[in-house]
Amino acid sequence: MGACCSDVRGGQQAVGGGAQQRSQATSNAAAAAGGGGGGTGPNDAVDFFYRTKGVQALFTQIELSLSASKLLDRDIISKSDPMAVIYAKKRDGSLEELGRTEVIMNCLDPVWIEKINVAYQFEIVQPLIFHVYDVDTSYHKLPAKMLKLKDQEFLGEASCVLSEIVTKQNRSLTLKLHNKKGQVGLRNLGTITVHAEETIASRNAVEIAFRCSHLDNKDLFSKSDPFLRISRIVESGGSVPICKTEVVNNNLNPIWKPLTLTMQQFGSKDNPLILECFDFNSSGNHVLIGKIQKSIVDLEKLHKEKIGANFVLPSSRHHTHEKVLKGQLFVDHFSERKLYSFLDYISSGFELNFMVAVDFTASNGNPHSRDSLHYIDPTGRLNAYQQAIMEVGEVIQFYDSDRRFPAWGFGGRTYEGSVSHCFNLNGSAGSFEVEGVEGIMAAYASALRSVTLAGPTLFGQVINTAADIAGHSISCTNSKYFVLLIITDGVLTDLEETKNALVRASDLPLSVLIVGVGGADFKQMEILDADNGERLESSTGRIATRDIVQFVPMREVHGGQISIVQALLEELPGQFLTYMRTRDIKPQTATTPASAPPQDHPYVV
Amino acid sequence: MGTTSRALEVTIISGEGLRVDRRRQVKKKAFVVVRTNSQNSRSTKADFDGGSFPAWNEKLVLEMPAHARFLTVEVRCKVNSGDKVVGTAKIPVSDFAGGYFPPNYLHFLSYRLRDSGGERNGIINLSVRVKGTENVIGAATCAAAAASSLRPWMGGSTVVGKFSGGVVTGVPVWMA
Repeated sequence: MGACCSDVRGGQQAVGGGAQQRSQATSNAAAAAGGGGGGTGPNDAVDFFYRTKGVQALFTQIELSLSASKLLDRDIISKSDPMAVIYAKKRDGSLEELGRTEVIMNCLDPVWIEKINVAYQFEIVQPLIFHVYDVDTSYHKLPAKMLKLKDQEFLGEASCVLSEIVTKQNRSLTLKLHNKKGQVGLRNLGTITVHAEETIASRNAVEIAFRCSHLDNKDLFSKSDPFLRISRIVESGGSVPICKTEVVNNNLNPIWKPLTLTMQQFGSKDNPLILECFDFNSSGNHVLIGKIQKSIVDLEKLHKEKIGANFVLPSSRHHTHEKVLKGQLFVDHFSERKLYSFLDYISSGFELNFMVAVDFTASNGNPHSRDSLHYIDPTGRLNAYQQAIMEVGEVIQFYDSDRRFPAWGFGGRTYEGSVSHCFNLNGSAGSFEVEGVEGIMAAYASALRSVTLAGPTLFGQVINTAADIAGHSISCTNSKYFVLLIITDGVLTDLEETKNALVRASDLPLSVLIVGVGGADFKQMEILDADNGERLESSTGRIATRDIVQFVPMREVHGGQISIVQALLEELPGQFLTYMRTRDIKPQTATTPASAPPQDHPYVV
Repeated sequence: MGTTSRALEVTIISGEGLRVDRRRQVKKKAFVVVRTNSQNSRSTKADFDGGSFPAWNEKLVLEMPAHARFLTVEVRCKVNSGDKVVGTAKIPVSDFAGGYFPPNYLHFLSYRLRDSGGERNGIINLSVRVKGTENVIGAATCAAAAASSLRPWMGGSTVVGKFSGGVVTGVPVWMA
């Protein structure tokens, strides 16, 4: 008898009431959506499903507002009647219309009202194309959707990438319009301005700590094991549970850990919530001890006045009659918090700094041979290393303000003659930075000509160097987050040293992405990834504060449009947010630059 | 690396996987003692309900003498005859002090606890903040960065958490 199969401890955990455990949930959600959605784009149903569970959205909905100025005047008697259309440029080059604005009559400096929704996805590059048309008078009675664009007068085109817009401080980008061939031409075609806003309902969240006294005893031989379940009343009259506390064993005066409730969960502060206190039973039949109906505003009042509210127990016989119990609910802690989103941080000046390390061990094969993983194909086809660098670099480069990336190689013999496990890819002795993703590619190609592949495969030095850079940056600013991409073909020789380096770096603003290329058995890398729940432990007994490593083997079969590297990048916003939120670092609202002096850091214990 | 003692703010957050006598789960009443040397120690209150996964979330402030090299964290539980040590972790001071961390930086750390027999016995999660240290090196590199708008770190030998000689460069620091 007894709970032989069920995870009682699991059943006793708090659910839905924490804002911190996002990365785990997001990675599961991302994996689920990635497999099922097929990667053609955002899956609204999946997103909504996870939102109702209180999990952060996989992607963010953005609203684009458009305006233009100094448009070409096409009409004879009056001015042009402009309308704008936004397209997403797909991988194969085709255009997919995302939406269009309304038509504004007689205006060369239109400010359109109609907004266009786009789903922002951190892990892919999202090119956008804007077309502006002058709508012919005879179509003015039709709604904008029905207008056939090829019948309209083309006024100009512009293009950009979505992340360019959201990384700007005011989230606005102004682009020059040009004709379809891409030239600005003799005539000035004017400019178009795009402004992006997140459509997330609200960033408000409340943190509440509950306590009860004098609860009824529902257990025979011991005391009740109470937990609270909070539900929201929905329009149809029923209730939907939004979160529950953990179970406190054997206690009629329980104190629970604080819960965090987001506005998305409770709707509005006046919405009535039902708080039910149950006695936990491992069989699953929890007995109701009592319930209370309160809104967030009522709970705030309970906290301020430091009084308790009595539970009631609906009578089974008389449905309208409720017995008032001696048990009371108290609110020991009530505070409002703002849960900022990834884009809030980015547009306020926070940066992701990209760093690369490339494996130059002999197991890759002689670069001149076609079978080598380092073979540079004269036809232009990218090898695995180049692919990984491009796919990650192309996404992250927009989040790095100066586009100067540290780039290293490891496991190779440089011109100096000895094997180095952290040499500058650009071949220079002093500086390790290159300019732009093209700079990384050029440095990689030239390093292949001058460095001899050697070995063994050691990550420790590269990770320590990256950690030093991250550590140094903290003393100046708290708005930089570092991403180290390690591309390797083989199995680690120094697992202990790598673990030590990762544990030391786990409390720094650093994420390590490891891409495995070639056919080696990467089982060892999965230990580093720690997704199975085992936290990394160093040889000195220190344990990793957070899981900063993501590993993915490039050869895994991927269907649809999602690339393997995308799966890596999906985790990054979550890791970034976990780091910022645990330290209570907020997006900068003032116009002060990111390198504020240390005493302004809002570190709160 | 001053010659005076510093104040340490240690928040003992939680423990995981604690056992008594290697097999039994810790029943209740586990508490934590933090010590920098034999004279400076503080304890948390006992956690009555967590069992093997206790949560304290309690902030302790204690003095760390200039030459202290370890912060000792002991998880104990009350038994009939007094206290029993469940597990200990020795945290090297270099893990949170010295080096390039800015003053008042909040370190989130976790360590393996070992029982009196040296066997592994759970994990302790805590945060440490060294209050109000003068970090001259940090300020200097920061000013250099602000002046030249290049990254302050230009490569060279990596020094993790320890200073061991080398050239000292004086950089004028002006109040921003």
